[in-house]
Amino acid sequence: MTNPLGTRLDATFKGVELRSGVDGRLAVVVPREAIVPVLTFLKEDGYDYLQLISCVDWIDRGEFELVYLLSFYTEDEVGRDGGKQEVLLKATVPREQASAPTATGVFAIAEPHEREIHELYGIHFEGHPRLTPLFLDRDYEIPPFRKDFDTKQYVADVFDRVPPIDEEG
Amino acid sequence: MRELELYFGPQHLGMVGNFSITLKVEGDRILEATANPGYLHRGFEKLMEGRSWIKNFPMVCRINLVDPDHMEMIYAMGVEKLAGIEVPERAQFVRSIYLELARVSSHLFGLWAYANMLGFDTVSNWAMYHRDLVLDLFEELTGGRVYHIYVWPGGVRRDFPEGFTDRMVSTLHSIGGCVPDYDTTFFNNKLFSERARGVGVVSREEALAMGGVGQVIRATGMKYDVRKVDPYAAYDRVPWEVHTRDDGDAYSRICVVRDEMIESVHMIFNLIDAMPEGDVYNRVPNPLKWKIPAGEAYVRCESSRGELGLYLVSDGGEKPHRVHFRTPSYAHGLAILEKTLVGANIADVGNIMMSMYVVAPEIDR
Repeated sequence: MTNPLGTRLDATFKGVELRSGVDGRLAVVVPREAIVPVLTFLKEDGYDYLQLISCVDWIDRGEFELVYLLSFYTEDEVGRDGGKQEVLLKATVPREQASAPTATGVFAIAEPHEREIHELYGIHFEGHPRLTPLFLDRDYEIPPFRKDFDTKQYVADVFDRVPPIDEEG
Repeated sequence: MRELELYFGPQHLGMVGNFSITLKVEGDRILEATANPGYLHRGFEKLMEGRSWIKNFPMVCRINLVDPDHMEMIYAMGVEKLAGIEVPERAQFVRSIYLELARVSSHLFGLWAYANMLGFDTVSNWAMYHRDLVLDLFEELTGGRVYHIYVWPGGVRRDFPEGFTDRMVSTLHSIGGCVPDYDTTFFNNKLFSERARGVGVVSREEALAMGGVGQVIRATGMKYDVRKVDPYAAYDRVPWEVHTRDDGDAYSRICVVRDEMIESVHMIFNLIDAMPEGDVYNRVPNPLKWKIPAGEAYVRCESSRGELGLYLVSDGGEKPHRVHFRTPSYAHGLAILEKTLVGANIADVGNIMMSMYVVAPEIDR
């Protein structure tokens, strides 16, 4: 790998896997224990802007993929060729034991993103200050954004049924 | 003094939109604020996983009622990136003009909400009227007033009708002619500026630490605009400027909105002059059986409230595997708003919230 940031990440952390990027981004796959140290390293390296934390349910592989999109605040055009690259950091979490360390200590904006992922995918973020519900009002057996949650079936079960009329009232 | 818990919204005169904030107050001073989104959570991202790539277009614009066009644009950009579709040069210009028109319409709507909330009814009625004139243009161009579904993978649905650019220029001139009236009645009006100066100050460090974008950081003097930083459509083909203010308060933010609106109009004139002839559409495969190669993409554009992003994953099928929008109000309405409200007065809650231009539906999605 000729990328200087990639080389430094490879030298500093164990188990870091570099992949060909997405649209000019450097894609880095790390074990889940390394999420916070790598994010801290990148923040100190000038990646001060966490654009998004996303989660993808790969149900066939039995794992969730956490995706951290890192960029930096600048007033100039981001150099796609040769300039500083944006970073896409990935870590996988098994579906059976869905938990990951929180990134709120590094980026304040991680707080609502992780709350949302906790609510919609059921991933527990260890050390998160408030994993309270963000959007939803009901309890779900399966967190509703997981692939095995059947939206149509849920709607049919919950909303399509005519409630029985209480004969007394 | 006794601490009280106060519910600000969703039914509250000072609240615009389906959103609520729980305030802990002591007298008139706010000790703690908790934002409660979710009143408009429709689960669009999950629903989109169950529909074909093209069927998602009528859905994606409904994520944000105020500025639906940037939603279409970002989704089209994501699909184009995954499928490797090129867009003709003329379509890039048409898209830019269309998006700037959308920015003017959205900013006027925002101005309506802000002025209305502060009790400047004259200004809010002007803004609504002028927005309606822009909606007439959209209706002529696309058939829809609010939701347009005009941007499409590979270009736009149709070219400008004959005489459309002339009518657009004439409408924008008539709106632009009212800028001095807006200035006198609102922006330079002491009643307003005293009300907004020094209120809801967000420093640059705070804004950057909490993922602020758009007017929130441009009001702190930082020229961060995705149209410059990561140009798309035809934004790098014409000269234009990023407007900033330095104080980081509500007044600076709304003045950035004002300046941007004027800049957008100038930009539209420049884009019309520079627009080349040609096609506005590149054919895509049969959209009903369209399989997009497996992969992922993150695209971003500058919506009327700041950076709008989309993380799109395809597993090689006829439907998206994962769709995730990064909306500007997410950072502004949750993290930054909760922090900024601490220490403010109850009367300034709506003021601060609307000056950050928080649009609830795009937080919930």
